[in-house]
Amino acid sequence: MTPLPLVLAAGGGPVIPSFGKASNCVVQNGQFCSGWFFANWHAVFQPRLIEHIELTAIAVGVGMVIAFSAAILAYKQHWFETPFSLLAAFLYTIPSIALFEILVQITGINRFTAEVALVGYTLLILFRNTLTGLRGIPPSALEAAQAMGLTQTQSLFRVEIPLAMPAIMAGVRIATVTIISLATVAAYIGAGGLGEPIFDAIQTGFKTEFLATGVIIVALAIVADVLLVLLQRLLTPWAYRRRSA
Amino acid sequence: MIKQYPGRTQPAVDDLSFTVEPGEICVLIGPSGCGKTTALKMVNRLISISGGDITIDGRSIRSLGLTDLRRGIGYVFQQIGLFPHMSIEANIGTVPRLMGWSKGRIRERAGELLELVGLDPEGDLKRYPGEFSGGQQQRIGVARAMAADPPIMLMDEPFGAIDPIARDRLQNDFLRLHKQVRKTIIFVTHDIDEAIKMGDKIAIMRAGKLVQLATADDLLANPADDFVASFVGEDRGLKRLRVRTLRDIELDPPVDGGAGASAYMDTSLHLALSRMLAEGTTRLDVMDEKSNEDAVVGSVRLDAITELIAPQQPTSPQDR
Repeated sequence: MTPLPLVLAAGGGPVIPSFGKASNCVVQNGQFCSGWFFANWHAVFQPRLIEHIELTAIAVGVGMVIAFSAAILAYKQHWFETPFSLLAAFLYTIPSIALFEILVQITGINRFTAEVALVGYTLLILFRNTLTGLRGIPPSALEAAQAMGLTQTQSLFRVEIPLAMPAIMAGVRIATVTIISLATVAAYIGAGGLGEPIFDAIQTGFKTEFLATGVIIVALAIVADVLLVLLQRLLTPWAYRRRSA
Repeated sequence: MIKQYPGRTQPAVDDLSFTVEPGEICVLIGPSGCGKTTALKMVNRLISISGGDITIDGRSIRSLGLTDLRRGIGYVFQQIGLFPHMSIEANIGTVPRLMGWSKGRIRERAGELLELVGLDPEGDLKRYPGEFSGGQQQRIGVARAMAADPPIMLMDEPFGAIDPIARDRLQNDFLRLHKQVRKTIIFVTHDIDEAIKMGDKIAIMRAGKLVQLATADDLLANPADDFVASFVGEDRGLKRLRVRTLRDIELDPPVDGGAGASAYMDTSLHLALSRMLAEGTTRLDVMDEKSNEDAVVGSVRLDAITELIAPQQPTSPQDR
């Protein structure tokens, strides 16, 4: 990290103007002032954390609905795969700041714009994983379903989608962690989230805020991933049960 | 019940026509690519018919709805195709659930079937297919195919991927099971020994055509042509010994002092001969397992066996 140009003026212009009485640690801009962190948890971090979780959940949720539908369509109608893949890959490769800039022209500086962009980033991962999962179903299971007189719809919902679930959940895990990281940029267009204290810390050079936010984001990503693994075990118990040798 | 398979324009199955009687196991056999699996899959319309017709109880399979037709025909195939994400109970309950059975009835039926195929109806219902060996999985596959008690079963090399020892046991268990439940079965295999063992009658196919339809014994005694003769094997004389038992032979009266070796009435001639060879005798005491005391009811001579196996008409033109 580059040394931040701090001006610790004695008489005025404190580094952190908006957070009340400053402790010694804060005034000297120590690496991590735990007192300040705990004192400001409720005012600064908690609301941003909740916003961040909302941003991520909505993006992955909406992305899942779109990507899942698209993957089912591509599974049934092969021609659909290439155009949707190209679109999703295109969205995925646009640098996030640039995408936010473009979208702001259309939908303005707000949370909706941020969500549109974030959803765009989930599509490629979720679409690819869902489709790969559906295509990787053992042909014998499909033949059995067909031979037992399941209709195509019954086969899809009772056999194919459940069997694709491990791959789908793997996609959800990657997408979630990716979006948790990307959503910080959303603060750039006023969407809130943990990006706000980061941008704030970059501007002010306040190390504690910077470090604390970073740690919270990483912790959030790990917790989310663990929760999704637990969900996956709940949804696909069969994938963890194998014959003991 | 009658099934007929007249033609397809393609030679995959070419003007094939035969009838399977109710409760019978009819084996379709032939070299790879002879159309036996194609013919089988035409019955439940996994492969569509391009000409001719197949009838079940006099009704064309085309007149039945596709799903109804398939739910009424049990299907067992080499790859087994259990649903890995479903418990054994749910796997077996697939068709019953589609037919609207209650949960309680499905559970009861699944337990009953597991017991029938030799698995544990208590502990195994809640387990997943991945926890079972290949042989056990195929037992579950058979149970699943019989779940809604379909009168007809199609079996496509069901035991083909199972190791020989487990396969032998599965075949025996399946024959025992079949005696209890008497399904009408079409059974595809490429293994002549399996065909001889399982089939009430055997249809030998070649290039989509039916070459010979006969009982195992008849097929081995009178192969229709050189192709059949070579397909059933040079040792068809010996193979015939497996499909005959000592009941098929008129016994001599018991010999004084015993013959030195013995066998039960239901022993195959193959085993009886083997026992004679092993004991170095030409005679065997025969006992009836139904009598209490294992009393010797007669004896059999070595030449009685060879006479039975020798062609009835020594100058049969087909038999060189």
